[in-house]
Amino acid sequence: MLYKILEKDIYKDFIKALISDYEFIGPKKKDKSEHDFVLIKDISELDTNYMRTTIPPAKKILFPPDEQLVAYELGENINVRSVVESSKKILFGINAWDINGMNFLDKFFTTDFIDENYVAKREKLLVIGMDSEPTETNFSPSMGAEYAKDGFDIYLTELKNRYFVRIATPRGNEIVENYTKTRDVSGEDFKEYDKYMDDYRMKFKLDVAIKSFYDDFESIYNDREFWKRVAKDCYSCGSCNLVCPTCFCFNVKDDIELNLKSGKKIREWDSCMIPEYGLVAGGHNFRPDKENRLKQRYRCKLKTFIDKFGKYACVGCGRCIEACLAKINIAEDINSVKKEVSI
Amino acid sequence: MGFEAQVKKNKNTIYVPDIARITRIEYLSPTEKVFKIVFDDEEKRNSFSFKPGQFVELTLFGLGEAPFSIVSNPTNKDFFKLCIRNAGNISNALHRMVEGTKIGIRGPFGNGYFPYQKMKNHNVLLIAGGLGIAPLMSLIRYILHYREDYKEIMVVYGAVNPGSILFKNEIQYWSNRGDISLCLSVDNPDNKWTGEIGVCTKLIPRVDFPPEDTYVVVCGPPVMYKYVIYELEKKKFKPENIYLSLERRMECGVGKCNHCHIGDKLVCVDGPVFNLWEIRNLKEAL
Repeated sequence: MLYKILEKDIYKDFIKALISDYEFIGPKKKDKSEHDFVLIKDISELDTNYMRTTIPPAKKILFPPDEQLVAYELGENINVRSVVESSKKILFGINAWDINGMNFLDKFFTTDFIDENYVAKREKLLVIGMDSEPTETNFSPSMGAEYAKDGFDIYLTELKNRYFVRIATPRGNEIVENYTKTRDVSGEDFKEYDKYMDDYRMKFKLDVAIKSFYDDFESIYNDREFWKRVAKDCYSCGSCNLVCPTCFCFNVKDDIELNLKSGKKIREWDSCMIPEYGLVAGGHNFRPDKENRLKQRYRCKLKTFIDKFGKYACVGCGRCIEACLAKINIAEDINSVKKEVSI
Repeated sequence: MGFEAQVKKNKNTIYVPDIARITRIEYLSPTEKVFKIVFDDEEKRNSFSFKPGQFVELTLFGLGEAPFSIVSNPTNKDFFKLCIRNAGNISNALHRMVEGTKIGIRGPFGNGYFPYQKMKNHNVLLIAGGLGIAPLMSLIRYILHYREDYKEIMVVYGAVNPGSILFKNEIQYWSNRGDISLCLSVDNPDNKWTGEIGVCTKLIPRVDFPPEDTYVVVCGPPVMYKYVIYELEKKKFKPENIYLSLERRMECGVGKCNHCHIGDKLVCVDGPVFNLWEIRNLKEAL
């Protein structure tokens, strides 16, 4: 990691230059409470002072809601080829927990089989991170995700009259060297940065009892009454999956043109909360009840990937809590598991 | 630091099927047909090999893709066979296809297959319920091909009624061979049926293979496993020597779509064959 200081008076020129040279994706105000990561053409559209985005920015770019995987032409001979789309982009202003969510997807899509559709986009994505204000449903410090130690090229932390710049990659360094001027970090800068981080962490109000979840969950797994209570209001709508920065389940479907001569395979986000998720040919459903599916979602988020990658598939962003129509609250549920199991 | 995936750039991504052709369709029962499949590309035809218990993803262009386990003998080169029940979107459409139809194939998939190497010089007990005989066929055919490498072989096979017994010709051939014992049972006999009646679980207590020298493989409908395992454990067969082939919904076959996950296991990548020791304490596996 390379540490540098960028003075605030030249920050705007830096961003303007990047906007003019790159496909630049950044946060833009959508309405009173929400921002969305969109293509920024002019610095006036950019608003890094955001709190809430519904769709996680990195997932939106790297693993879009629908994506063509294969193209084919039918006829005497069938022609099949892969479709991989990617273009060089800057993702600007993504916060620490969303970077950590992206780090999870990076790991997931490169484990066992390499998903080249994801990788091609990821390799060309320059990530410039920045802290954002947590919402009241955010519990990312409990999940160890309020701070990003990798996954970005550059991370900007706003101090009084300057930015504390962390540069993690050679290409990040190239950007900084080519587009702006920085100076070395002094002890005083580090001191202020440390103070800033302490204050920043204080802004997160929600705490969850995740430490004991791994074993407690096992103990409560077969408690039907408990899970019925937790999932009682669930509509099986899948909103929680759509807004999750780490959810990666998808369906693959064939789509053929009206001329019946060419077609494609497309993947679309799927949701483990909808009844069809576990349905196989012949009509057997491996996860027929909503309490079973919700339990399964918690297992996947909070336990499965501790076994597989040593990390949670939840960054505590709290989006699913806000998106849930039935007010199902993962943070509360983690705490109720603890409460139910402990004496 | 940063994203540095060590990616081997393939010509095609993991989602691109190879083109193959259905060269023969055999009728097995009103609901099952066997499809013989040959790759168009000679290089692919020569390089394709699989292990008993593995599966492929079959594309019907314009309709979609579904996973099917391979039923043919792995020693057969140039082709492989799938036994398919008309139970879902793709399988129903497949039953309407004719010989010569071009399809797409990805695979073979599954790091968990039947441990045909470890089974050498041991007894092998194979337990199948209904269509569960299909994934076992590949293993049975392989074992019979190298019959002298294995000790006693027994197939316990339960079907709903005499008409739904699959691979009847081959079963006839087995009973003529004399070096493989066979226990057939049906739930609903007709008046010509002279064999066993009831679920195949009932036949397990009669197996007299020594537990320490026996491998057991099981495949059947989801409801069957619990009862079979109960009977096998009563007979003191060791969990690490009991292999089960599991079914789950699959969209990709390569561990990405996640539909087949059971806790930290993926049926497509870690299975579809697991030994009982691996999954007996894995919630919702059985």
